[in-house]
Amino acid sequence: MAALRGTRRTPVAAAVVAGIVALAVAACGESDNSGGSKSTTSAAPANTSTQAPAAAEAPAPQKAVAPRTGTGTPIKVGVLSDCQGAFGSFDNQDLAGVVSAMSQFAGAKPKNPNKPRDGWTGGAIGNHPLKLVGIGCSDDRADTAIRETRRLMEQLDADVMIGPLSGDESIAVANYAKQHPDKTFVDGSAGAQDTTLKVQAPNFFRFNGDGAQWNSGLGDIAYNKLGWRKAAVISDDYSFGWTSAAGFIADFCAAGGQVTKRVFPPLNTTDYSSYAQQLPADVDGTFVAVGGAGLIPFLKAYEQAKGPIDAKKFMGNLFWGTPGQFEQLGPRVAGAYIGSAGTAGDLATPAAQDYANNIIGKWFKKIPPGGAAAPQAPSTFTYGYYVNTWGLIKGLEAVKGDISGGQKKLQQAIGKVVLPAPYGEIKLDENRHAVFTNYDQQLYLKNNKLAVKTVAAIPNVDQTFGGTFSKSTPAPGRKFPGCEKRSLPWLGKAQAVKVDQ
Amino acid sequence: MTLDRSVGLVFVVVAVLAPLIFSDYWVATLLTQALFLGIVAASLIFLSAYGGMVSLAQVGIYGIAGFALGNLTTNGNTKGLNLGWAEAPGVLVALLIAVLVALLFGALANRSYGIYFLMITLVFSVIANLFFGQVTSVSGFGGISGIPIPDFISRTAHPDRLYLATLAIAGLVYLALRYVARTPFGLTLQGIRDDPVRMSSLGYKVALHRTLAFTFAGFIAAVGGILFVWWNAQIAPSTIGLGATIDVLVIAVIGGLFQLEGAWLGALVFVLLNNYAQDVSFIGDRFHTLIGLVFLVIVLVSPSGLMGLWQRAVAGRPRAERADSAEAAGPAGLKPAG
Repeated sequence: MAALRGTRRTPVAAAVVAGIVALAVAACGESDNSGGSKSTTSAAPANTSTQAPAAAEAPAPQKAVAPRTGTGTPIKVGVLSDCQGAFGSFDNQDLAGVVSAMSQFAGAKPKNPNKPRDGWTGGAIGNHPLKLVGIGCSDDRADTAIRETRRLMEQLDADVMIGPLSGDESIAVANYAKQHPDKTFVDGSAGAQDTTLKVQAPNFFRFNGDGAQWNSGLGDIAYNKLGWRKAAVISDDYSFGWTSAAGFIADFCAAGGQVTKRVFPPLNTTDYSSYAQQLPADVDGTFVAVGGAGLIPFLKAYEQAKGPIDAKKFMGNLFWGTPGQFEQLGPRVAGAYIGSAGTAGDLATPAAQDYANNIIGKWFKKIPPGGAAAPQAPSTFTYGYYVNTWGLIKGLEAVKGDISGGQKKLQQAIGKVVLPAPYGEIKLDENRHAVFTNYDQQLYLKNNKLAVKTVAAIPNVDQTFGGTFSKSTPAPGRKFPGCEKRSLPWLGKAQAVKVDQ
Repeated sequence: MTLDRSVGLVFVVVAVLAPLIFSDYWVATLLTQALFLGIVAASLIFLSAYGGMVSLAQVGIYGIAGFALGNLTTNGNTKGLNLGWAEAPGVLVALLIAVLVALLFGALANRSYGIYFLMITLVFSVIANLFFGQVTSVSGFGGISGIPIPDFISRTAHPDRLYLATLAIAGLVYLALRYVARTPFGLTLQGIRDDPVRMSSLGYKVALHRTLAFTFAGFIAAVGGILFVWWNAQIAPSTIGLGATIDVLVIAVIGGLFQLEGAWLGALVFVLLNNYAQDVSFIGDRFHTLIGLVFLVIVLVSPSGLMGLWQRAVAGRPRAERADSAEAAGPAGLKPAG
């Protein structure tokens, strides 16, 4: 017996040691994560210097509705945001978009003007109160997004959901939506192309663009303005990275350029030196779609491998201009052209200025951890969640809050919504995906600090890039799209924009 | 009927009647999840209790089955091979692939013991995770979405059927593991657990036995993987990351590493904590800290898990020490070989 007990202790001891070590590692990971994101974001200046001065005298294009409450059957709303992972520090930006739209267009009120995540009170469509049943917390991973979606839709019994934030999450949620046709989903800010172009769930709507659309126009600038003929591309090795790079490749090749090298570091790479080495020297420029936390390590690795960065030989995607993040790139990239997310915080139109100062800046004083609310209005995340929530509200208004009949009437109504959005009209295509005006931007130095100015508007950008992408083409990936000269609807039609600097 | 069996019977009856007792969310989400996680944990407990092998590869193998099924049965709208096969051949081939990989892993690990076995199996799980994360032709970071589920257990048409099917399979897995433990193969395995040198000198092929036991446990884990992708309709490399690997170990330790029933008990506790802890404001997203505390308490108070606590409560001492007890099943009821 003693022998038996003795041998048995070995697996327990081994398991206990492994378990304790692993949990310690997991716990460290957790604290590293939150600590990291906090310090990163709080180190950033609270205000983006591109923000225009308040345009108080400008007419308010979208008046706020009077506060509303209702006594009918509530419409139960779930929101799915990322409060952990690579985008966890933008959690309050996401919620600021949702709560501001609820307050502006449905008569709700933020619970706490300094903390969007606290949600809203009041708000109604017709006589139906808009009840927030829960805010999901995901971490950019598809399985977490699905788990949280289940909790919101099945445990808390939400009727409609707003979210998620990032690419692969949205593909999973759109597939989930397909299996639950009697519920309605609007995107948050996710930009993977497959979500709408491939999955085509009839009850999933997206009023923001995808990563490829967000880079439309950059290829034109590279070829015709900067004179690039040959370019290299480096992008994160996952859906959003591929989609983002695909936009540049389709645009640049359509204009006549050649992409001679594509490099794909895995997401969450920390040492980019081997990838920087792979970038060829005999190209005119490099398009960088390395996101979030990887961008600065990549630029450093590039400098070590190839010497100082010449900003005219670099282009970046929206991560190069996201408020709260781009400020840390430093003066070395001043002059580089970058994509946006259909956002242009410095646009001089009344609607754009009104959105920052009289909508986001009215309902919220602060969006933690970035500080003052209004300068964060042009963030991809705030804007994405804002337009999607607004689209949902307009759909609900059209059916007077009636979500009976498996929400079919509501879903039809949302498909027809056209938003007079702050940065230009947004309408949906037959896959329930946004067609909108995209903006190209440029980094520059303002008082020795990096700032963003909008340089061109690309109207009516749709998801297909003139047939480059469709349901039957492969999804953007390491090899797709290929590089071919073709005609794009917007090639050579970029419009000048008037900005406040 | 002993108290153990009566309580067991009550659990089984409640599980069968669950669709009539609990809400849809409980049945279709929480209980189903507990059942298939229990199956995976049971494969680990089988190896640990009867073979003395604490394996961290079970989640890797479970993922291999899930990814294989995803690649075989999806049809064009997601990452991976999108081969568009029918369900039945898809499941068979997915199980076969997972079992072959388990055989290979087992063959590589069959001469390692204790902490070295633990480490080599951890490497297998990490390899599986990185393989699916990096090889974009079969998955890539975002994983495979929209994996179809057979119509007759579809959650939209029949909310309870996947649960009932999972329950039936969990029952079969339990019976199969108990049965195998009592066959000559199982008895030999327990002999190897207790004294591999002596078994070897008696003429048993120790390495082969350990390999086959690992392969069999791999099959059980693969069954759990199939149920998981049907339940979740989606699988990504993060599903089988280090966190998930440790989660299954934690489930097994909470339930009790020596008794198969502990797998489902541990899984139920884990799933409920995971789901409800985030509603408690001061816990929020610190689930891993909470489960770490639970893990520590269990290890300190009862190294044989909740099952051990139960045994102590009813008999005054852990079941593992009642080697002469008539109904003691599994390793506890068997004297060391030789």
